[in-house]
Amino acid sequence: MINRNIIVLLCNVVLLVGVYVQSFAAANIIDPDLNFKNVEKHIDLQSQLTKITTRLILENGSKDRHIGNFLFSLEPEQKNSLSYIAAYREPVRVELKLTEVKVNVYPDETFYEIELKDPLSPGRTMSVEIEWILTHELIPHPKEITQKEKQLVKYIGNIYLYAPYIITKQTTTVSLPSRNIETYTKFKPVSQSDSFITYGPYEKLPQFSYEELNIHFENNNKFLTVTRLERNIEISHWGNIAVEEHIDLLHTGALLKGSFSRYEFAREPKSWEASIQSFDTILPAAASDIYYRDEIGNISTSHTRIKKDSVELNLRPRFPLFGGWKTKYIVGYNVPSYEYLFHSGDLYTLEMRLLDHVFDDMVVDELIMKIILPEGSKNIELSLPYSATRLPDSLHYTYLDTTGRPVISVTKKNLIENHIQNFKLKYTFPRILMLQEPLLVAAALYLLFLLVITYVRLDFSIDKDEVSESKLRIAGQCEKILAAQDRRVTSYNELDDQLAYLKANKDANTFLSVVKGINQEYKSTTSSIAEIAQRLKGESGDVYDRIQELQKYDRTLKELYNQQQALYVDKLVPGKIGRQQFVEAEAAITKKKEECVEKINSIIKSLQ
Amino acid sequence: MLPNKTSVINTRKDMFPDKKSTSKQMKTSTLTNAAGLNSLITFTVLLLAWISGFASRLFAVIRFESIIHEFDPWFNYRATAYMVQHGFYNFLNWFDERAWYPLGRIVGGTVYPGLMITSGSIHYILHSLNIPVHIRDICVFLAPIFSGLTAISTYLLTKEIWSAGAGLFAACFIAIVPGYISRSVAGSYDNEGIAIFALQITYYLWVKSVKTGSIFWASMTALSYFYMVSAWGGYVFIINLIPLHVFALLIMNRFSNRLFTSYTTFYILGLLLSMQIPFVGFQPIRTSEHMAAGGVFGLLIFVATLRHLRTVLTKSEMKYFGGVVAVIAAILLLILICLTYAGIVAPWSGRFYSLWDTGYAKIHIPIIASVSEHQPTTWFSFFFDLHILVTTFPVGLWYCIKRINDERVFVILYAISAVYFAGVMVRLMLTLTPVVCMLAGIAFSDLLELFFKEEDSERDRSNNGSEEESEEERERSPGRALYDKAGKLRRMRHERPRGNGDGLGVNLRNGVVIGAFVLMMMFTLHCTWITSNAYSSPSIVLASYSNDGGRAILDDFREAYYWLAQNTPIDARIMSWWDYGYQIAGMANRTTLVDNNTWNNSHIALVGKAMSSNESAAYEIMTSLDVDYVLVIFGGMIGYSGDDVNKFLWMVRIAEGEHPQDIRESDYFTERGEFRVDSEGSPTLLNSLMYKLSYYRFGEVKIDYRSPSGYDRTRNAEIGNKNFQLTYLEEAYTTEHWLVRIYRVKKPNEFNRPSIPISKRIVARNANSYVSKKTPRRKKGYIKGRPTIIKGQKPQRKPT
Repeated sequence: MINRNIIVLLCNVVLLVGVYVQSFAAANIIDPDLNFKNVEKHIDLQSQLTKITTRLILENGSKDRHIGNFLFSLEPEQKNSLSYIAAYREPVRVELKLTEVKVNVYPDETFYEIELKDPLSPGRTMSVEIEWILTHELIPHPKEITQKEKQLVKYIGNIYLYAPYIITKQTTTVSLPSRNIETYTKFKPVSQSDSFITYGPYEKLPQFSYEELNIHFENNNKFLTVTRLERNIEISHWGNIAVEEHIDLLHTGALLKGSFSRYEFAREPKSWEASIQSFDTILPAAASDIYYRDEIGNISTSHTRIKKDSVELNLRPRFPLFGGWKTKYIVGYNVPSYEYLFHSGDLYTLEMRLLDHVFDDMVVDELIMKIILPEGSKNIELSLPYSATRLPDSLHYTYLDTTGRPVISVTKKNLIENHIQNFKLKYTFPRILMLQEPLLVAAALYLLFLLVITYVRLDFSIDKDEVSESKLRIAGQCEKILAAQDRRVTSYNELDDQLAYLKANKDANTFLSVVKGINQEYKSTTSSIAEIAQRLKGESGDVYDRIQELQKYDRTLKELYNQQQALYVDKLVPGKIGRQQFVEAEAAITKKKEECVEKINSIIKSLQ
Repeated sequence: MLPNKTSVINTRKDMFPDKKSTSKQMKTSTLTNAAGLNSLITFTVLLLAWISGFASRLFAVIRFESIIHEFDPWFNYRATAYMVQHGFYNFLNWFDERAWYPLGRIVGGTVYPGLMITSGSIHYILHSLNIPVHIRDICVFLAPIFSGLTAISTYLLTKEIWSAGAGLFAACFIAIVPGYISRSVAGSYDNEGIAIFALQITYYLWVKSVKTGSIFWASMTALSYFYMVSAWGGYVFIINLIPLHVFALLIMNRFSNRLFTSYTTFYILGLLLSMQIPFVGFQPIRTSEHMAAGGVFGLLIFVATLRHLRTVLTKSEMKYFGGVVAVIAAILLLILICLTYAGIVAPWSGRFYSLWDTGYAKIHIPIIASVSEHQPTTWFSFFFDLHILVTTFPVGLWYCIKRINDERVFVILYAISAVYFAGVMVRLMLTLTPVVCMLAGIAFSDLLELFFKEEDSERDRSNNGSEEESEEERERSPGRALYDKAGKLRRMRHERPRGNGDGLGVNLRNGVVIGAFVLMMMFTLHCTWITSNAYSSPSIVLASYSNDGGRAILDDFREAYYWLAQNTPIDARIMSWWDYGYQIAGMANRTTLVDNNTWNNSHIALVGKAMSSNESAAYEIMTSLDVDYVLVIFGGMIGYSGDDVNKFLWMVRIAEGEHPQDIRESDYFTERGEFRVDSEGSPTLLNSLMYKLSYYRFGEVKIDYRSPSGYDRTRNAEIGNKNFQLTYLEEAYTTEHWLVRIYRVKKPNEFNRPSIPISKRIVARNANSYVSKKTPRRKKGYIKGRPTIIKGQKPQRKPT
């Protein structure tokens, strides 16, 4: 305490010197004319976070100067645990710009310069609210508890506001989760009612005043930390955005001492107060195909509740988490891209959350966010809502990729719920590239079929298989013969038709002229068969013999036709033959024809 | 004139009945010729068999998730993941210090790497094509995919032995038969999944090479045998069956140069290749299991030489020569026996003896007998796994015997030996299944062929009406396309006259055909039902169904393993019974003492001894083995019967085998020889570590109002030893349904209080310095602002 006072004293001296030396160096000096007329500091210790809200009334004590900005500082110990800080102008809540600056006079202190939207005119006051949130400030004490015990934590802080200006009046309130308070700093004036402790009012406080605040109290809320969160966003221009979060959880409350008893856990509600069995994660309303798993498979205990503006996912880790126990899991879901991805022509803009909700009052020690863009995206511009480290870009290969998808990665440490804000990512993507993947599949299939087609048609055997080749040749020739025979059959049928016609009309002249054509065709076919047969002679004597037989029968058949024709033309048409005689003659010819045809058919069948 | 005309028309009609059909046939032949149609049908049937085989193995994946099942697959998966991560050579050199603490295990040299290489190379190919499939999914779906390949290789083998039609039947049968599905559902990532494919393809290639006598096919056989050796210990079946086939052929006087070429090529190449697998090493020339193959090799060469000499030498010279040969053979046999006694050639292994003598294992090697899949097969399970095939396959076998040739000798031997082995061990049902499918395929194909063909010729005769016949012709052609053209020609000539004399009625034929189809339909239903109900539970996730059909998943195993993975030191050593070793290593990634690779009986016996001793004796063993945690499976809470208390007698037996002076099985029985956990149970049992760990604090649990506290649902008994404390261990974690209980072994300073001189003693105040601010009156808890009710007055609300 004494040391601190000395430091403060020294600071004041230095400040005075500094003011004189650098009075007009414009930037980052502590304005001696400004003071905090009234300070209401509120320390909220209800969750695992330390949320400090300070309502200031600024007073411009100068005669003629307008003040456009002021400085604000934090205790040096808080620098590391600070997660979030923001300033608002009251009573109409407007966020003010806040930047971290250094003041030459106090090189060790961290200052924040807050720009007032409208300068503060001399003699006027303005109300400003500054909110900052610190993590891992509540230390469990005792460090280890048994399953049944309640969790007590210790908080060490500053009753005063650690400000670079003179504070005229200050009150500090501390809100705690329960009325069970072990001890707290009795720094008069102080009062406790229910779960609130009120300090002050204190008046006329010098700059950088410090009075240690020490509270030891019961806090059975979730002391759960996400030690590492990897958030992957994969964009598909086919209308889907896949989000996957790899989450490492650690219970950062008091460690479990001794054994865990399932019996007591199931029987006595007191024994699971300090453990975490489940928590709610809020996902976007459009989330679908949600999965919850870890390295060894699905975690089968989770429920979703679909609400109007969100999907609430109740997650239960595989086992209840006691102090010091950790677990890991993966949550993933799909959202339609039209809600987050906007485009005009080839220009795309993605607007999504950099960090999403895991559980209420969460603490994320390390966030790694990766955005996987479609293959061929260029001119990538990322704008973040708050400062974060951009990691080097990389490439990701997945289905049907050739050149790889660009991956944008961002990392940041120590985040909380207030960091759930949107980032913007602009990039260009030639829409014609959408066709690349379907074409790739088509080309691959085409090549495959082509390969099969070629393979089937090529002969890869080392030695020639004479027998099967000659078989194939014979089969080919047989097919030709059959075709020719087919034509011959057609001509026979036509001849039949003409004969029937002749019988009815008795018009011999027309008949003869038509038959001439038919016979012509018949002759050519027969000669072609003979030709093929000659060729077959060398291949297979057997087939050749059969064809010779076929030709023989065919000649007989033709002869029979000729006879029938003669019968019709020479006898029937001129009327030289009696009816009875004609019928007998015709029947005889027909019978012979049938026999002949049967033989031909049997030969043909054997050739097939 | 009129009748005349009609007669003419009639003649014309009769004249060329083929006219229309020929032209039509021409058309179809240009579009799809017979060969094309043939292969189209084959392709379609095989594809459908593949798809249905794949689909019917997915019950577990659809009901639960894509996850590795059971116990052994977890090791295979872990090894595969290791290989994918570290590369093949590092995998071969992998010394796993996470298993068999403190001995470790040389994984590369004690594993059949075929399975890992197969899925590893699939993974490699997919990833080089940028298809990011997780290795777990490849492992899960490997067996279903290979079932399709098995169907194809079964088709090929049956086609070689009988006909393509029978082959298609066999392929369809093997795709869905429960006997094979039991080892190849999605998630059962085990050697058998790919080994049956390797077995069938080896046999196919062998038959092919015997048929053709070409060195090419024989070398292919050797290569596929190499794959089989790399995949499964069951390769011994091949290396004994093929020589048996050769031997049988020699005895049947069916020696041919084809046989000589194929066997000699196969044996030499196969021998050299099989010795490349580190786990097999020099076994093929040093163990008795492999000696038959060598003997047949010698015999075959001898027979070939003899045959050759017979053409060169005279009869008298032959006699002299025969004497020389006999002497040489006797000397060789003697040398072999001497080598066996000298220990250079190892005698038969225990597992092998148990194949001949089913009682052998129970007496000599309790660890083999303790595995349920090593038990003899019941008749019930034959029907369960094969259904109608078990009744039809003797028919196929009979056909094969009736129309014997070289390759059918093979399938007969295959069938007979497989039936024997399947009868000895439940597990070997797997080798029986393919041959049963093949022979049943032959039976069905022959039956239907007979009855369908009769129908055709019958119609042929009855319908001289030309048009219809040609229709018939066309309809028949797809079916007929399966048989080659020459066959068709012959049939036409032979069948016609016989058809006339055959008196098979239409009704009888239809009846038989319908009957066959009904049988096959029932077979399909049975297969689906069995697959869905018996073989599709992952066994690490249990599901229970409530009365209203709702499903509750008991995920206790993974809960416990994941707790171990997340909340114990990375080098923690976990003692459990060997069943859970692979799962602990795979899911929790922690060091285990014993696991499912039961290579070291004495180490297992030590763990068994620790489990069966009392707490202080067990503590000594546990400290000597550096145990940090003990894991037991306890099913008494939910009635899970496969828990450690039910396995306990095997632990005692195995421990007794190594430490007969400390552990006696009889101590664990009551005087009447019962194994009881209630108050009448033997005191040794009630004080053993396993009992205490299973029932710690269970005595206080009341499951429902009717039963007493500490009522064990699995054994339906109230436990006998209820209120005890553990001195040397403490409960570290128990899962939600008490299925897995994990205990931490205390360090000596945690229960041994060192004596501190009074001056140095610090009296620790109660750590919980919190003092309640409640007055004794309020201690019970009260409701703020509760209205005080006075009889006869209206309750008044206090302003607060």
